Amino acid sequence: MTVAISARSLTKRFRIPLDRSTTIKYRLSHWRSTSRYRDLLAVDGVTFDVKDGEFLGIIGRNGSGKSTLLKLLSRIYRPSGGSLTINGHVSPFLELGVGFNPELTARENVMLNGAVMGLPRKLLESRMDEMMHFAELDQFADAKLKNFSSGMQVRLAFTVAIQGESAILLMDEVLAVGDARFQAKCFDVFNRYKSEGRTIVLVTHDLGAVDVYCDRAMLLEHGRVAADGSAADVTATYRKMVGELQDAERMASGGALIDIADMTSSAKRWGNGDVRVRAVELLNQDGTPHVNFTADEPMRIGIELEAARDVNDLVVGIGLHRGDGAVVAGTNTHIERLRLPSLHSGERIRVEYSMPHLMVLTGTFRLTIALHPSTSETTYDWLDQAFEFRVTDDRGRAGLFELAGTWAYSKATPWAMSLPAK
Amino acid sequence: MAATSAVAGLVGRRREAVRRTAGLTRELAWTQFKLKYTGSVLGYLWSLLKPMMLFGVMYAIFVGVFKQTQQDFGMQLLVGIVMYTFFTDCVGAGMGSIAANGNLIRKAFFPRAVLVVASSLTAAMTFVINLTLIIVIATPLGLLHVGLRTLAVLPLIAEVYAVALGLSLLLSALFVFYRDLGHIWEIFSQVLFYGSAVVYPASRVPVGWRGIVFLNPLAQIIEDVRHAMVIPDAPWSYSLIGIRFLAPVALCVLVLFGGTWVFRRLTPSFAEAL
Repeated sequence: MTVAISARSLTKRFRIPLDRSTTIKYRLSHWRSTSRYRDLLAVDGVTFDVKDGEFLGIIGRNGSGKSTLLKLLSRIYRPSGGSLTINGHVSPFLELGVGFNPELTARENVMLNGAVMGLPRKLLESRMDEMMHFAELDQFADAKLKNFSSGMQVRLAFTVAIQGESAILLMDEVLAVGDARFQAKCFDVFNRYKSEGRTIVLVTHDLGAVDVYCDRAMLLEHGRVAADGSAADVTATYRKMVGELQDAERMASGGALIDIADMTSSAKRWGNGDVRVRAVELLNQDGTPHVNFTADEPMRIGIELEAARDVNDLVVGIGLHRGDGAVVAGTNTHIERLRLPSLHSGERIRVEYSMPHLMVLTGTFRLTIALHPSTSETTYDWLDQAFEFRVTDDRGRAGLFELAGTWAYSKATPWAMSLPAK
Repeated sequence: MAATSAVAGLVGRRREAVRRTAGLTRELAWTQFKLKYTGSVLGYLWSLLKPMMLFGVMYAIFVGVFKQTQQDFGMQLLVGIVMYTFFTDCVGAGMGSIAANGNLIRKAFFPRAVLVVASSLTAAMTFVINLTLIIVIATPLGLLHVGLRTLAVLPLIAEVYAVALGLSLLLSALFVFYRDLGHIWEIFSQVLFYGSAVVYPASRVPVGWRGIVFLNPLAQIIEDVRHAMVIPDAPWSYSLIGIRFLAPVALCVLVLFGGTWVFRRLTPSFAEAL
């Protein structure tokens, strides 16, 4: 099997000028001072091979050097060091519809964009009707692009993009655009490319797409290769890395989105202050505070309270919100029939809510804590969506929460539906 | 056998690359031309307006005020203005062609000079139309004296195109890094207008100054086009300055090669600077 792309110690150093010298005037008036630069190593000694027909996914956080690497492979940037060998014709797709002009018609834009991608005029002309049909723009071939919706423009650009017959395709976040139906089309094309044995390098943040389509993945971090191997392994490494980083950030604040010690009211906190929340802890199964949980893991929510005056009918409630604010679940001590003791002024207690296992699945969730009396509408202390934690489901179930059902099967009979599950 | 097929493959790939480049150049030039003239109702007429205004003003001043009586002065002036307009249009558009297409340069790979060549071709299309228009209208009116020597127009057009393209390549590359070049070019093109014997026949230049004026290729080109197209009485630049007429020709070649060299040197930095 031959190698399509071979990179050895590939390096790209950007020299970022610290003084503004975009005019001759400036150059002349500062002719004695040498320019000062700050060096930025965007790609730092990257070595890898891409075999013929391989589908490589490049992942990494923003600023990790993915796009710079892709531009090096596209020959848009010249390497500062190392070597790069490419066997075969390369088509870079760094953006859809490069060179599109709103004043031109769909047909004219196809010819222009096609020429930018190096497609022969004859080929474009012979496929024009077919392309317009595929883009669902049959009646709009001679309408100006500026009158098109963004969806129509994307369909047109994508249709031109897939006409190329290059052996090597370089793609940057092509999947980030368009609706679900359009993305499904993208995936169809990926499957076609794979079956045609083309070599593809895809830079993306869509780990799901990497898992499904890529034979191999490479993780970049600070311009270096942090992991290179099977797509599943590398995306798992990346997920873990990102999770750890977010954990480190959140652990510092205990998941709190507000300063609990700050007793003044804010948009996220209100109440008369007769009873106050002093501290909130999210504990994992080891009893250590945590902000990152896996579904099925036990979780305890510890709430420490202090009464500012005598209170005898305290109710403590919690609410669980999805990222967009929608309530996933909520309950309180009154509903669960736990009668809390009367509190004297200055007295502190700790209230805990335990879950044998978390029933929510993947996502970022926010916790609301509410203290109020059981009888009146008054509020002692309300902390609205003030604590954040993340849940990942390593079993791959879909949706927001676990159904907690069981599966069973039996021989199909007319009464199958009514048979007791075993 | 294997070596032969490898060479054939290489040649094929080379030809393929040339085809792609030519196709892109053509498409860009044609698109720019279309956009320039289909965006407005008057279209092409707008491109005529600028040189015609210049011609009208100059003609009024020199014939009306200064009582210029030289034979075929109007035609000489017109040809000069058309040549000058092509040169400045070509360089002016070419200079911005790299900086204005930052998105193409950052997102697609193709020989960058395509952008400059395409913009020069767009200017050339307008020029060819203008020149054809002059020939078609002025010849039946007896204002042009066409003969075998008129064929000299072809190498002269090649010469003006070479120097315009060379300068475009040079300035377009520098413009990426020095944005005040635009202002400098504007001033320079003003000086060039009066220094290129557009509004006066070169034979009026004092003998001692001719060597200097004719270092300017545009002066030499305009003078020779006049001789070739307008009146045989106007001298070739060769008859005015002798063998020294090779200096402006050499300068054109130098500008073309120098511009290409600078452009190639700076090309790798375009994507990062834009």
